[in-house]
Amino acid sequence: MKIDLIPTICPYCGCGCGLNLVNVDGEIKGVEPWKRNPVNEGKLCPKGNFSYEFINHKERLKTPLIKENGQFREASWDEALNAIFRELKKIIDEDPDLVAFLSSARCTNEDNYVLQKFARAVIGTNNIDNCAALCHGPTVSGLNLTFGSGAMTNSIKDMEKADCIFIIGSNPLEQHPLIGRRILKAKAKGSKIIVADPRYTPTAKHADLFLPLTPGTDVALLNSMMQVILKEGLEDQDFIRTRTRDFEKLKKVIENYSPDSVEHITGISAAKIENAALIYGEAEKSSIVYCLGITEHIMGMDNVMSLANLTMLTGNIGREGTGLNPLRGQNNVQGVCDMGALPFLYPGYKKYVLDNVRADTEYEWNCGPLNFLPGLQMVEILEAAYDGRMKAMYIMGENPVFSEPETMKVKESLLNLETLIVQDIFLTETAELADFVLPATSWAEKNGTFTNTERRVQLVRKAADPPGQAMEDWRIFCQLAQVMNSSEMFPYRSEEDIFEEIRSITPQYKGITYQRLKADGMYWPCPDEDHPGTPILHGEKFATPHGLGVFKPIELRSLPETPDDDYPLILSTGRIIFHYHNSNMTGKSKILGNEISKSFVEINPKDALKLGVSNQEMVKIITRHGEIETKVKITSKITHGIIFLPIHFLDGKPNLLTNSKVLDPSTKMPELKALAAKIEKI
Amino acid sequence: MIRKNQGYYIKSSDDVLKDLGESGGALTTLMKFLLKSKIVDGVLAVKKGYDIYDAVPVLISDANKLEESAGSLHCGTMNIAKILVEYINASPDLKLAITVKPCEALTIMELGKRGKIDLNYIIMVGVNCGGTFPPISTRNMIQDVIGVKPDDVINEEITQGKFLVETRDHNIKEINIDYLEDSIYGRRSNCRRCEMNIPVSADLGFGNWGVLEDYVGDYSFVEVFTDKGAEILDKAVESGFLKVEKPSKDAIKIRAHVDNSMISLAKDWQSKDFKGTDNDILKIFSHYDGEFNKCIKCMGCRDACPICFCEECTLEVKSPEWINQGEIPPSPLFHLERLIHMVESCTNCGQCEDVCPVDIPLAKIWHQINLRVKDLEYSPGMDEETLVLFDLFKRPE
Repeated sequence: MKIDLIPTICPYCGCGCGLNLVNVDGEIKGVEPWKRNPVNEGKLCPKGNFSYEFINHKERLKTPLIKENGQFREASWDEALNAIFRELKKIIDEDPDLVAFLSSARCTNEDNYVLQKFARAVIGTNNIDNCAALCHGPTVSGLNLTFGSGAMTNSIKDMEKADCIFIIGSNPLEQHPLIGRRILKAKAKGSKIIVADPRYTPTAKHADLFLPLTPGTDVALLNSMMQVILKEGLEDQDFIRTRTRDFEKLKKVIENYSPDSVEHITGISAAKIENAALIYGEAEKSSIVYCLGITEHIMGMDNVMSLANLTMLTGNIGREGTGLNPLRGQNNVQGVCDMGALPFLYPGYKKYVLDNVRADTEYEWNCGPLNFLPGLQMVEILEAAYDGRMKAMYIMGENPVFSEPETMKVKESLLNLETLIVQDIFLTETAELADFVLPATSWAEKNGTFTNTERRVQLVRKAADPPGQAMEDWRIFCQLAQVMNSSEMFPYRSEEDIFEEIRSITPQYKGITYQRLKADGMYWPCPDEDHPGTPILHGEKFATPHGLGVFKPIELRSLPETPDDDYPLILSTGRIIFHYHNSNMTGKSKILGNEISKSFVEINPKDALKLGVSNQEMVKIITRHGEIETKVKITSKITHGIIFLPIHFLDGKPNLLTNSKVLDPSTKMPELKALAAKIEKI
Repeated sequence: MIRKNQGYYIKSSDDVLKDLGESGGALTTLMKFLLKSKIVDGVLAVKKGYDIYDAVPVLISDANKLEESAGSLHCGTMNIAKILVEYINASPDLKLAITVKPCEALTIMELGKRGKIDLNYIIMVGVNCGGTFPPISTRNMIQDVIGVKPDDVINEEITQGKFLVETRDHNIKEINIDYLEDSIYGRRSNCRRCEMNIPVSADLGFGNWGVLEDYVGDYSFVEVFTDKGAEILDKAVESGFLKVEKPSKDAIKIRAHVDNSMISLAKDWQSKDFKGTDNDILKIFSHYDGEFNKCIKCMGCRDACPICFCEECTLEVKSPEWINQGEIPPSPLFHLERLIHMVESCTNCGQCEDVCPVDIPLAKIWHQINLRVKDLEYSPGMDEETLVLFDLFKRPE
């Protein structure tokens, strides 16, 4: 008998918790605590504890599949890769920009790096995006404009040192439980907790002050808080003078947002707004935690920049216990962006529109001239497919049919392609539409690195062999490159070889090596091999070209859809603790499924009474874009006039209700947190 | 002739293990003998993972690989009984020798009584334990209090109430454990309250308490608790793996003195930790209502608890719907149900609290309640004969 405990990193949220996978005689049998990991010290949430359950699931993809006459048949790697080559070749010869790639925030840095290199150097396109577009895209853009870097500014552990934690559009106790833990620890030490949310979430329950915010009115709340802070003289004048610019512009805008005037907009009493401003402004160290309640609006970038204004106004950045902390969704969504799986940026956020950046990369990769045309963003790629302007898509570990807005249209778009290649561990709704399906390894079967929400790069270790012929994502691209006569650009024998290349061209990762990562991992930026890594950003200066933080005056924009007589409710969407996104992984866990496996909609008792619906009753949710049927869950934890739908369940697909036509012009974010809706009895 | 209920000075004859092991490597050498002589098929122990703060359970069947389990790791906070019952039990015919701390010995004994494992296939080689240290907090303490980089520490030791670290450049720094425990650092809180420093329910108990003067470093003081323990130790001595000497009366006295002072310290911690709560079981439970309210139903406490015994977990049963499913926090019944199932057998091993993502002081709560159960004159895991308290979960025929 052989038993091994392999320390690795949880595959779910951005916390990046360490855990041990237990391999008994070659098979993964369980998860055991890894108390040596500094992120979670052996503690896990329900998803982490049962993260092993889907690994050996019978539906795992085991061999490449080729679709013929509408049916999949099994194929060898040779056959599949050669056929993919022939299809792609036809299209590349016409125009490489007719091909697009979706990279995966679930995969390792090494997988994602190789994907974007393959897309850029072998195919010749910058049409590469990942799900961050539908997540913290507005964070990356908004914080770039204000701070010069779109990442979480402080560390997870650092939150314990805050005197005030202002949580807005985030429910960490459910969505990032091991960050929720730090917040509870801070509270136990006396920190004041403020939560702004339309729902009285499990996190809100622990708040000292709860602000029941109407979805989409964040800017009004934040401007108003800033007005109070200025009125009370709680601004950090020194910080504003020495570290920032354009303060006067901000000052002018917030003049119009008195607590009294925004009371009816935000749904929060003026007294509470004032109180929140005083708690945040008076604390020695205030930290802000936010998530998709801020970003998944068409004005998500405005919301992010407003938060940046608030932190700079009070000088709550660059120090312990302060900062602006976007909690990243997936295990490696930070990493997938760092690796340049983005339409406008190379690894390390280098702007390839600059000739010297392309020239350096051509030299590093030893390849021909790289395409300088900007790539398309996720929503644009699908739009192009819909219009016939995109001919092939290569999707690694993403399920846009479920996760992108307007499900039916996404399906049509993908079916409209000449070639769709999907690389995944299960036959997802997206994979079912593919012409080629390639079986990849799961997190438990691969080596590499994930970068968690606090920019901590951590080692992921292979704990078992993959099922059947499944192969690491990076290796599949290397094999395809070989078929396409480009193998000399992909000489990797191991994940570490890839990482060595990553750090040679990604400045933030330069000083990080596999040897240095060990049990603790390392924070980027890490400029050289003697540098300890950087847990807190913007200490001396901001990452903008001039080193100053930039105030952005933001006016409240109205939502694309507001409630009216026909659609009197506001529909918000989100996650619950027991499942992850489209539940392709958590849905295959017995214990998580036993907890909950069916869709529901949360309704306030007043609204339920008006509609005459009772608990557990099946109803129709209708928006201007579609309808679904689901079960009623009456709860006073949701504000009157707002309904909440979890995004996990196949029997209540949220994206049948969403809209992909109205987008934020710069980040292309659709509206996912506030749609006008109505409920009808069936 | 080695006899039950006697103490011995034991020394290794193995030149390699002598240097690698703690207190002269006697325990590791005994394990080597057990494997080589095929008395056992495997040794379940703990090895160093990434560093000295990373203790990893390991099943060793090749005697030459025992070196990796030599030496002690004070950050070894797991309960090895969980690995045994969860993963190894699938191979029930495997004869094992297991290195156990006192709480692990109690747990394995208790599992035997509950019919979860067959004690006939297990040799428990116990080690004295004055408490274990949580890895991350200990690294922070070494950095913040001792002022040494935790990665520069190559060895740590606990002796006479002090925590000692040896750095790469062979500097030794020490700090008083009482001083640490007045702040946020030190031993795990369950360990502080623990009165079981000597693994009396194991077959043998190894340690350095009572090893005096010239014997220090070369010899372990070994107490024999069972006939099985006496027999294997005898054989190991006969085969030349171990050498035996009789300890002086002073040695025995000093060992008992160390044990007694640890017990009295533990009792102090108990009264400190349990202060302000009533002595009634349900009142203790409801005192922690606010803590249970943080619960995110991760099931970690259930999964980490080695005592859990249901074939189909009642916490997963959908009907009757008395524990709300699909939302958090679960009703306090979730914890009350765990209480009913484990508290009489609770060995204060602390796993539940270690893994709790919202830091509910579970071990403290269960420990206090378990002490009330002990008032009913049942002490979990002390021996094989006394039936489990309510006599509901007897070993299957």
